[in-house]
Amino acid sequence: MEILIYGTINSVALALYALGFALVYGISRLPNFAHGALYVLSGFIAWSAINTLGLNYPLSILLTMVVMAVIGALIYYLFLIRVRGMEISEIIASYAIALAILEGLRWGGFRGMTYTLPAFIEGSTAIAGISVDYQRLLVVGFGAVLVIFLWLFTHYTRIGLALRGMAQDERAALMLGIDSDIMAVVAMGLGSMLAAFAAILLLPLGNIVVESGYNVLILAIAVCIVGGIGSWIGAVLAAFLIGFAQILTVVYLGSHYQMMVALLAIILTLIIKPSGLFGQQKELEERV
Amino acid sequence: MLEAADLMVFYENMLALNNVSIRCGKNQIVGVFGANSAGKSTLMYALSGIMLDIRKKEAMAGGERITLTGSIRYLGREISTIKPSRRAKMGIVLCPERRRIFKESTVLENLKIGGYLASAAQAAETLAYVFKMFPALSKLKNRLGGFLSGGEQQMLAIGRALMAQPKLLLLDEPLLGLSPLMQATLMRATREIRNERKISIIITEQYARPVLPIVDHAFILENGSAVMEGSREELMDNPDIRAAYFGV
Repeated sequence: MEILIYGTINSVALALYALGFALVYGISRLPNFAHGALYVLSGFIAWSAINTLGLNYPLSILLTMVVMAVIGALIYYLFLIRVRGMEISEIIASYAIALAILEGLRWGGFRGMTYTLPAFIEGSTAIAGISVDYQRLLVVGFGAVLVIFLWLFTHYTRIGLALRGMAQDERAALMLGIDSDIMAVVAMGLGSMLAAFAAILLLPLGNIVVESGYNVLILAIAVCIVGGIGSWIGAVLAAFLIGFAQILTVVYLGSHYQMMVALLAIILTLIIKPSGLFGQQKELEERV
Repeated sequence: MLEAADLMVFYENMLALNNVSIRCGKNQIVGVFGANSAGKSTLMYALSGIMLDIRKKEAMAGGERITLTGSIRYLGREISTIKPSRRAKMGIVLCPERRRIFKESTVLENLKIGGYLASAAQAAETLAYVFKMFPALSKLKNRLGGFLSGGEQQMLAIGRALMAQPKLLLLDEPLLGLSPLMQATLMRATREIRNERKISIIITEQYARPVLPIVDHAFILENGSAVMEGSREELMDNPDIRAAYFGV
């Protein structure tokens, strides 16, 4: 029971890490290696909004999401647009941005264990005799809401549909007047907003530390590779796969093996089925 | 409506279009006929501006060097440097070779994605029009694009292009691989679309016979050059053309 509850929570957390990365890659084929850095940056922006600007919590959250969307869009518009189409350069450029953000934060004095975000609701409850704090339950709830929201957004809004068109066939979308650069800006903005969303939900569970930027990136990449890169359904399923595998490892092997699970998952996926669980596009082509 | 003059396209040193000039008048259907690799798709990419995007991508990836010269005037404006998404907004919409349907989206979603540039009212009106023009599609609304037959995909591709509110519709080899019956249906639909939507259409095809009855004017491309042009009657009466392109 404990495994079930904490496995679910862990899986949703992984899905939250990965969705932003999967979204940007799925739409623009842009591996955004700054994703983890954006996650940490969101935490510090929210912290600063509360503690430096003295804003109340909901307002800080809103501000963080908006600021992060703008930052994401700017990162594409100022930097990544120049290396579009050169995959290695995209990775190097976005990783350089990640390093600049993370090490910049470290240099700026954000170090140590003093930075925390408050939980939405303090306290805990018991499910089937196992104590779970409210924040962890909120993570699961908001995670589910987010997935539903994203589904609705990409199926029923003009921009969302255009993003999906772009993800499937960029040139065909271009013929219909869907500009790939504008869509990439939107995707990066949205992806950064998702990073902020994840940060605000998950950071109250621990401290805001610069190092987690690198971990989040690795976890996001692991989830995306296992799920089939670019596929959102795949990412959610893979999050559950890795999430439960991690919790099982913690319970039966010891917590220091936890990070290995994600890395092992990457390696195994690449050996056995390089397109991931949901290499959707390929499958469809084979059938037709 | 559209007047392209002296279009030249090079892929590296290979000449794909050589001094091609074509025109399309208001509310006309213009045919462009030519064999494989005569430059039909290159011409369509040049007119729609997609070639600019291809050139940019190739330059980024360090691939083929593409050179593009010539002038394209559309509605009295020089558009040869305007990027493709803007041209689509101005009303030049390309319905590409091999259709390029969004295979993982349903028929309805494909059409809605096509309506990106349209207002809500325009999109609703055009959607109803597409389903009226192609009743087969309205029965397949929720089928994934990848599971449609070739003919259904082509209807969807034309419908999707119509959703973008074209003033000049470019149809690149719409009959490729379709049965004669489907070809006739599509050509009839194309003529009706021209008449009812009051738009101009440029249509390319390898084989002229199914298309010729609906065109007002046509050009013949050979190895990247426009070797002949004329009205439907003029081309029909030319014995060389009849032998080479109409199979009569």
